[in-house]
Amino acid sequence: MAEALSAAVELFSSPTRLGMLLLGSGVGLLVGILPGMGGIVAVAVLLPFMLKLDPFSALAMATGALAVVHTSDTITSVLIGAPGSAAAVPTMMEGHPMARRGEAARALAAAYLSSLVGGLIGAIGLTLSIPLARPVVLSFGSPELFLLTVLGVSFAGNLLGKEPLKGLAAGLVGLLLGTVGPAPAAAEVRFAFGQVYLTDGIDLALVALGIFGLAEVTSLMARGGAVAQRTDLGTGWWEGVRDVWRHRWLVLRGALIGMWAGVLPAIGATAGTLMAYGHTVAASRDRERFGKGDVRGIIAPEAANNAVEAGDLVPTLLFGVPGGAPSAMLMGALLAYGILPGPRIVTDHLDLIYTVVWSFALANLVGAAVMFAASPALARLTYVPFYRIAPPIVLAMVLAAYQETQHFGDLVSLVALGVVGYLLKVTGWPRGPLLIGFVLSNPLERYYFLTVNLYPQPQDWLLRPGVVVLTLLVVAPFAWRAVRWWRVRGQPRQEERTRVGARAVTTVAILAVFLYAWWTARGFLPDAALMPVSVAAAGVVFTAAQLARELAGRASLAVDEDEPDSSPQELGKRVRQAVPYLASLAAYVAVTWFVGLVWASALWALWFLRRVARLSWTASVVYTLALVLGLLALAGVLGLHLPRGRLGL
Amino acid sequence: MRTLSWLGLVVALIALPAGAQQPYYAGKTVEIIVPFAAGGGSDIDARFFAQFFERHVPGNPRVLVRNMPGGGSILGANFFAENARTDGTQLLATSASTIIPYILGLPQVRYDPARWELIKVNGVGGIVYVSPRTGVRKPEDLARPSERLVYGGISATGLDLVTLLLFEALGLDVRVVMGFEGRGPARLAFERGETNIDYQTTPAYLSQVVPLVQQGKAVPILSMGFVNEKGVMVRDPSAPDLPSAYEAYQALFKRKPDGLMRWKAYQSMVAAAFTFQKALWAPAGTPPEALQALRTAVDRMRQDPQFREQGKQVLEGYEVLRGDLAKSAVLRATRITLDVKKFITDLLRSKYQVRL
Repeated sequence: MAEALSAAVELFSSPTRLGMLLLGSGVGLLVGILPGMGGIVAVAVLLPFMLKLDPFSALAMATGALAVVHTSDTITSVLIGAPGSAAAVPTMMEGHPMARRGEAARALAAAYLSSLVGGLIGAIGLTLSIPLARPVVLSFGSPELFLLTVLGVSFAGNLLGKEPLKGLAAGLVGLLLGTVGPAPAAAEVRFAFGQVYLTDGIDLALVALGIFGLAEVTSLMARGGAVAQRTDLGTGWWEGVRDVWRHRWLVLRGALIGMWAGVLPAIGATAGTLMAYGHTVAASRDRERFGKGDVRGIIAPEAANNAVEAGDLVPTLLFGVPGGAPSAMLMGALLAYGILPGPRIVTDHLDLIYTVVWSFALANLVGAAVMFAASPALARLTYVPFYRIAPPIVLAMVLAAYQETQHFGDLVSLVALGVVGYLLKVTGWPRGPLLIGFVLSNPLERYYFLTVNLYPQPQDWLLRPGVVVLTLLVVAPFAWRAVRWWRVRGQPRQEERTRVGARAVTTVAILAVFLYAWWTARGFLPDAALMPVSVAAAGVVFTAAQLARELAGRASLAVDEDEPDSSPQELGKRVRQAVPYLASLAAYVAVTWFVGLVWASALWALWFLRRVARLSWTASVVYTLALVLGLLALAGVLGLHLPRGRLGL
Repeated sequence: MRTLSWLGLVVALIALPAGAQQPYYAGKTVEIIVPFAAGGGSDIDARFFAQFFERHVPGNPRVLVRNMPGGGSILGANFFAENARTDGTQLLATSASTIIPYILGLPQVRYDPARWELIKVNGVGGIVYVSPRTGVRKPEDLARPSERLVYGGISATGLDLVTLLLFEALGLDVRVVMGFEGRGPARLAFERGETNIDYQTTPAYLSQVVPLVQQGKAVPILSMGFVNEKGVMVRDPSAPDLPSAYEAYQALFKRKPDGLMRWKAYQSMVAAAFTFQKALWAPAGTPPEALQALRTAVDRMRQDPQFREQGKQVLEGYEVLRGDLAKSAVLRATRITLDVKKFITDLLRSKYQVRL
């Protein structure tokens, strides 16, 4: 404890360290606001400066940035429905509907406060767990890690929505999407269609940007008007503070789930946050309210995603096994100072670890305070007509997408995933299970094969105490549900009889994807085929059952998540309105291939501002110019790359 | 090539008086393309070198690192081969994952390092260690471990290919379990007792495994070896106390391995994948004065005390070789004979179900 105190005194009394910490937090907050950009960009921006500082200041700076990127990525998630990162998806699922009800300030305040508390709990947890972490982490063998991923997938079961068949099938789509790329247990690349671009699989950031972000932006453009449909609820931020206090135990549980997801390998930050969300839903009696703007669905995940970053520092510093790219870069910087992460860091550099812990706590405080102060002003953005703010958002998303591999495929994937996301959204396919399936697909398959190959005798791993406990945790909720279902059986259920509509097209398309995947995967090597074949086979069964229900007119109405009350006619009208926007985005990407991003962005923005926003020529040109200059400035400051076109522009 | 670089020197010398105030790189920005994600070993290496190139290249250009991950580094290297600027402002950092698919002649590979200009190359070592449970204390015990050896690997077509060839060369009976995300998680599995033979590259070995050795939880057995300029395998310069794989073979079989096919395959892959692991290339057609400036910077770096101090962890005690001096050795390492290639593909197909 003496080291902890002296590290704190050093940190708070040294203007350099404090200054670097604040600078790092500033960069982290700014980068976090941009949708699709997070810790990697922030650390990459800071790295050249870090290498010129002493290790303590450099670490304070990097920790300051990493601690707050998930605080500020809440803004776009809540206000626009474009998740700032994959880990912000739950916040978007609950916060954005709140913003549409005019409760943006309440959602933001609740998010920042839970972020702050989650981060502080993470910092305390980190301090306490440093002496214990090593044996605890090592006690999780491959079988336990496998069951943890199973547990994570089973949490998706809480997010199935009104039609469980659709939810299950959506989860399977996610699992299948996650099998694209190299098989973990066999030397085979799956579903790459001969494209080198796909041989590393589909990028998580692109899935979040496309399936959720672009889909939401398209839907907002198609609907027109402002995000918020009511303006009479006031600022509401005090309400958000009260929400957090009312659900204080939820904050604690969320933070603990997040921290452990960060400490243990295999699960990862995004899945940890989604598990906190799934847990909240499971633990609530009135679960119908989730997905329609329930503040509890913001509180737990936000507490979790800041605690994940603290937890992630344990494997990074103690084992030299970073959980994510940002912490890997942090580790690289430490190496250059001659500080080796590993067992000896606790004895040799404890002061450094506590500098990290305190920096983490302080940055959380600063980040939350800044964002808190800004939230009433930011919330007002939801009253502005959306078409006025759409161009910079679309441009930022396209720019962010291209940073993933800087291959043209990033842009194509973004639009393709955006179209898929929009289709799923308007036909009422829940996208939460899809995301959980996607992030856990690879660890699930990997740790399954590691388990059965490292423990050739099933009894060697099935009877391990950790495995038994985790299995019970997986099975119990399902058993409980089965009992409840048995009790209420026989009671007539109300089902609206509906006509077969256009929504069956989505179901048929998903069925076709599963059939194709099943057919193709049978030709893979046995260890590469197991996962896609079983996922696709289950997908065929569930989707076919869903299709049968729809054809028999027994499925409930396909509804847009945001507009559960709209009639099929209105829905059809909105979809028809969305087509030109999706086409314009596809054209935007196609034009980029020829003339490069800068010119293509200018053309698209000009078209949008003239034809959709109906601004005057002068206003459109000035706005477009400002956008292009902003794009160039952003790329310059953050060291981002802009795709050039074939014509050399 | 040699004449060309001499020519470059002459040109540079002639140009010197006229453009003395304005070195080639003054005001320029150099981009190092790293075909891997941020945070990996190659990224750390490139970022480390970037700051010293900034300092030592005459004219002090800005040097930025650009990560272009994808296709296990093939995507970024293909991009470089097809689109790189040839004015010396775009360089490519490669690693074993870039070179092994080239050596094996995978169809996705559209690059050929023989057509590039080498700027610098530095190596990495690998240390093999076992769990005390195996009863193995020295290389000759590897033939009779008290429990079956189990190794945790990542993928048979990556850097683990060298490990597989080592097991083959030494005639070891090892159960290989592929599928780990990286060497770090594989080491955790060793610490948990799920595997009992493992290797780590030198920095990870020094920081993570040496403490285990001190606690009696791991026993170092041999180093992967280091192929010197004469093409002979010697002890790893950063682990001079450990026998190399070459010595381990002699201890096990009481004879030298030279001439054996399985040994030839192992040694050629060690050279390509370890001894010359981290290379920095400029595209063909880069002006000689640019190459000269970059290579001079490598020489200056080697004299820089700060480079040597900070480089201890990143370079692990291996020397950085200037590209023009090392190029022929590096290229020799990437050219394996057809019989070796056939041996490798047969081994991968028959034992590890890899279709190339």
